[in-house]
Amino acid sequence: MRNSILVYINGVRHELDGTHAFDTVASYLRYVKGLTGTKVVCSEGDCGACTVLISRFDGKKMGQTHSINSCISFMYLLDRCHLITVEGLKKLDHLHPVQDAMMKHHGAQCGYCTPGIICSMAAMSEDAVNGKISIDEKKVKNYLTGNLCRCTGYEPIVKAGVETDLGQVTKFKDQYDYASMSNEFSSLQDQDVLISNKTKEVLLPHSYDSLYASGSLGKKKLTSGATDLGVLVNKGKLDLQHIVSLNNILESYKVEDTESELVIGAKASLTDVEKACEKDFLEFSQKLHVFASPQIKNKGTLVGNLVNASPIGDTIPFLRVSGAKVVLNNGKDERVISIDDFFLGGYKELDLKPDELVTKIIVPKNNYKFKLYKVSIRKDLDISSVSMAIAYKLDSGVFTDFKIGIGGVGPVVMRIKSVEQAIIGTKLDQATFKKVAKMLDSEIKPLSDVRGTSDYRKLLAHNLMLKFCDEVIVDSGMNFSEAAL
Amino acid sequence: MSVGKNIKHDSSYGHVTGESIFVDDRPVTHGELFVGVVGSPVACGVLKSIDSSEALRHESCVGVYSAADLSAKKWGAIFHDQPILVEDEIGYMGEPLCIFASTSRDDIEYIKTLFKFDIEEGKPIFSISDAVAKDSLIYAAPSPFAQGNVDEAFKTAKNTLEGKFICGGQEHFYMESQATVAYPMENGQVEVHSSSQHPSETQRVVAEALGLPLHHVVCVVKRMGGGFGGKESQAAPIAAYAALVAQKLNKPARLILTKDEDMIITGKRHPFANDYKVAFDDNGKIEAIKMILRSDAGAYSDLSSSILERGMFHADGAYFLKNVHIEGYAYKTNNHSNTAYRGFGGPQGNMTIESIIEDIACFLKKDSFEIRRHNIYENNNVKTPYGQDVENNMLPQLFDNLYESSDYKNRLEEIKEFNSQKNGKIKGLSLTATKFGIAFTARFLNQGNALVNVQLDGTIQVSTGATEMGQGVNTKIQQICAHAFGIPSDDVQVMTTSTEKNHNTSPTAASSGSDINGAAALSACNKVKGRLTELAKLIFAGEESNDLKEYEIGKGSIDPDIVFKEKVVKQVSTGKEIALKDLVFKAYFNRISVGGYAFFKTPGLGFCKSKVEGKAFNYFTQGVAATEVLIDEYTGEMKVMRADILMDLGRPINPGIDRGQVTGAYVQGMGWVTTENLFYNDKGSLISHSPTTYKIPNVQDTPRIFNVDFISNDDNDCNVHRSKAVGEPPFLLGTSAWTAVKHALSFRSNGELIDITSPATGEVILNELTGLKSGN
Repeated sequence: MRNSILVYINGVRHELDGTHAFDTVASYLRYVKGLTGTKVVCSEGDCGACTVLISRFDGKKMGQTHSINSCISFMYLLDRCHLITVEGLKKLDHLHPVQDAMMKHHGAQCGYCTPGIICSMAAMSEDAVNGKISIDEKKVKNYLTGNLCRCTGYEPIVKAGVETDLGQVTKFKDQYDYASMSNEFSSLQDQDVLISNKTKEVLLPHSYDSLYASGSLGKKKLTSGATDLGVLVNKGKLDLQHIVSLNNILESYKVEDTESELVIGAKASLTDVEKACEKDFLEFSQKLHVFASPQIKNKGTLVGNLVNASPIGDTIPFLRVSGAKVVLNNGKDERVISIDDFFLGGYKELDLKPDELVTKIIVPKNNYKFKLYKVSIRKDLDISSVSMAIAYKLDSGVFTDFKIGIGGVGPVVMRIKSVEQAIIGTKLDQATFKKVAKMLDSEIKPLSDVRGTSDYRKLLAHNLMLKFCDEVIVDSGMNFSEAAL
Repeated sequence: MSVGKNIKHDSSYGHVTGESIFVDDRPVTHGELFVGVVGSPVACGVLKSIDSSEALRHESCVGVYSAADLSAKKWGAIFHDQPILVEDEIGYMGEPLCIFASTSRDDIEYIKTLFKFDIEEGKPIFSISDAVAKDSLIYAAPSPFAQGNVDEAFKTAKNTLEGKFICGGQEHFYMESQATVAYPMENGQVEVHSSSQHPSETQRVVAEALGLPLHHVVCVVKRMGGGFGGKESQAAPIAAYAALVAQKLNKPARLILTKDEDMIITGKRHPFANDYKVAFDDNGKIEAIKMILRSDAGAYSDLSSSILERGMFHADGAYFLKNVHIEGYAYKTNNHSNTAYRGFGGPQGNMTIESIIEDIACFLKKDSFEIRRHNIYENNNVKTPYGQDVENNMLPQLFDNLYESSDYKNRLEEIKEFNSQKNGKIKGLSLTATKFGIAFTARFLNQGNALVNVQLDGTIQVSTGATEMGQGVNTKIQQICAHAFGIPSDDVQVMTTSTEKNHNTSPTAASSGSDINGAAALSACNKVKGRLTELAKLIFAGEESNDLKEYEIGKGSIDPDIVFKEKVVKQVSTGKEIALKDLVFKAYFNRISVGGYAFFKTPGLGFCKSKVEGKAFNYFTQGVAATEVLIDEYTGEMKVMRADILMDLGRPINPGIDRGQVTGAYVQGMGWVTTENLFYNDKGSLISHSPTTYKIPNVQDTPRIFNVDFISNDDNDCNVHRSKAVGEPPFLLGTSAWTAVKHALSFRSNGELIDITSPATGEVILNELTGLKSGN
């Protein structure tokens, strides 16, 4: 058992006990280490000014370097990580090529978002030199989705990204001594970590067995990516005192792709899920694309999004219509239940016992076709007004199966069975969908809030049904008469 | 030669490495305290008492201060009507009622919850319409802007339209929220480091609040993490809070607002609700127009009067209005006190007429470009509604060039074809203009001063009242000084802005930072240069100095025969030369000043608001943009597909920096009219007070195709190096995204006018589409 975490910051070894392990990463960097290049603007992971890079020990080596929001991350979550801040990108006196490019193309105006932008772009160039991506304008924009800039209009930043001289990039594993870091981290991987101070305590078990044996479930707040908890803590809505974290359980990070299903571990990041879904669930992978920023997706998990059970939760409509199964465990028994049974119907009401945790989500490969919709005020990185997922099977122009899940229109993401039954067995035509869309109106009772009025949400749900119909008509190569809306 | 070159921003190295220091990056000094602001829980009422006993019992809370602790109770950029801390009347939700000091940064949020207030709640006013009904006026423009005879023209008009143009406010969303650290100094003095666009105003408000004479307060501004107008007036009370704690407890005090607090407490762009009536012929030529501008000033006057007037000054847009009548009223409501924001009312005025023209086009079933081209200032038709002529008018060239370069005609045809397919998507295209008047309309603000210190190695430190907020004013001043002395720009350092070096400074605002401070810096450089020129002539003439005789010069003056170039001073006629640093050293050794101080005022300005005559602006910065949008008819979602921008910026001092101002302003303007929706509940609480709920454009929202170009114009001889101001003018072009939405919707309206508000969110668009379709 260790009573401190071990983290390297820009290559320098740090052991943190309860004095600072509960700090947000951004606070620790800024106010303890004096590394003030990392900025805090929104404290909710939405603007990216606090972006830093981490590489996590994966059991064998230092894993891929990726960006996270340091303002909603806690130091205790960085055990066995290398943390790189904007100050750590320079190599001696040589700027990182993205820094050179940003200077040259006037990518920085006021400079407040710049360190975060630089870090996101450094993650991109690292992926590029590791052969994971090739850089073009679209890629640059994708890597920068989680970084707001109010000055430049982004055009000069995108240009800097595209023009970065990749030939000059030194891989982080060459810039920093990753070999000795992994050696040290490796020697620690069978140990649990328990850190406390006057008011707080966190347990980081190294395995599920250790987690169950600790008896923490149901007694301590379980954290994983903490992308939502971090916000609640920052905004004074939650005082986390007794915490248990999945962070050091390496087996929980797994995604298994078999012939018949995709098995997604509790700690598998949304980035990993996005990648894993490309082959068999392309529509879902593409939806994850606009779902959140890279920084959030690198840290947030699919299981976390499910268990958070937001009425809007953008992944849940898909999970509901795909027939996903939820694996629950309390150390003694494992339950595998259908996602429809997991949701009990009320706001955040789940079939999840206090001593249980969700260890996996299983998405079966059932040859459904999917259409997924997410409508929000801003296209990317915005919480939906309405989100909708439809899974269907169409045989000779007749729907042999049809499942619909809608978020943002009630206390929970809903399956609308009456609509489903009305469509199964009918032919694909606009008249049917017009009728069914009207049915939908009486099934949902959305609230009015900052993301739209109740009427607007009803209108959206209604129109998305029509849009689905028209899109399937086009997809099927059928004769598309005027889409009379 | 430095001027005209695309050199790097002078802070770019610090920005990309994270080494640039902003207010909260300053190390915490010994004993430093953290200040919290406690806001009103109601939008309207009377504060009877504050119970801070529980807060004071908290272990880290070391002081609570309210209006009673202030020497001056009110402040205001124009009229002193805004409480620094509420004394009795509460003006808006979240308004600061008291402040406290804590030894711990982490306790601030918790301590805020420990205060109790006895408040008698009043009946608030939240909307312009309600304020109009209750006659809650805060300012009325003294006279309408009027030309010709509107009433006569309406009598004979072929076509008339009447309507209302409504636009929402806008949060500045500077990345760095309001921030100050105040240090108590010797003899009761205070030094405040503030994220402020207006150090002199900040100095004044701090001095008044603390009861100090001005010479005991220094305001220092290294840089801001964005300003956009939001730190023109509003930085001052924030600085006063920190300074008050520093004074009371004799400890450094730091006040950094969180983004949520900042968005709730501080004012924003003014919402407007403008009425109009327009008459036009069958070609769309405007024959008469009457406009009444109405703005929501919020709870206090702040800069609302000038902002309203700038709205009136820009209600003509780029168009000649022969018979025109423009009135303006600003209303007092129980919203946050609205304030300066890039464009300063100009966008709200300009967008009104662009919207009207879009309607005329829809009404006449003609293309809006055609209507605009008929109406722009051209030839002898250059008299504005306020009497000043549009000189050096580039509008016809701008319109015609962009029409060609954006391939407007062909694209419009393609759009018509695309929209006729009815495949669930519609496109729209609109080309609008900006003709932005450059100068503070308050004449006295058009002044500045500069201090140039030439060091013995020939490098230069320059200080002005300009504040750097990313816009590159320091880089331009650096270039102007480097150019003057013929040295590389790296040999010039623009120093931290401080009221002890430059006093009575104007806010860095009205796009005029580089104009005024650049001109002052150039003048200061020329004073030193004049003396060095004279000295160089003596040296080149073979005169010597020794222990008995030193070089004596007069006032000094610049001479084309003496050229400063590449760190060398050269006499053209003789070919003789001396290294600049040697010449500087000789000057010093012979007791000749190598420091320069200069004062500059923009010449020729003078406008009478009551008589509506005179010259309000030094010149106009003009530009045009064509924006194409794509709308999903099922959901109302909108995407800006392409934007083409053409600007007249005279001879840019730094074309790279100016380009960044154009792209940044356009996208900010686009955000204002598309996704940036300020959402309040019925109690007047701002619900969209963070980026989770308030959506500024992100990188994916930028136009898929984004072309930016400048035309060349060498004739702007009324400004430093014939450059033109750039900060605000292109903001107005972002509104072409909104007029393009109107254009797109008109394809489904069957001749009916498109009646949408701004911002055109998905909900606004979908509601209009649904309404149009059910009407058909």
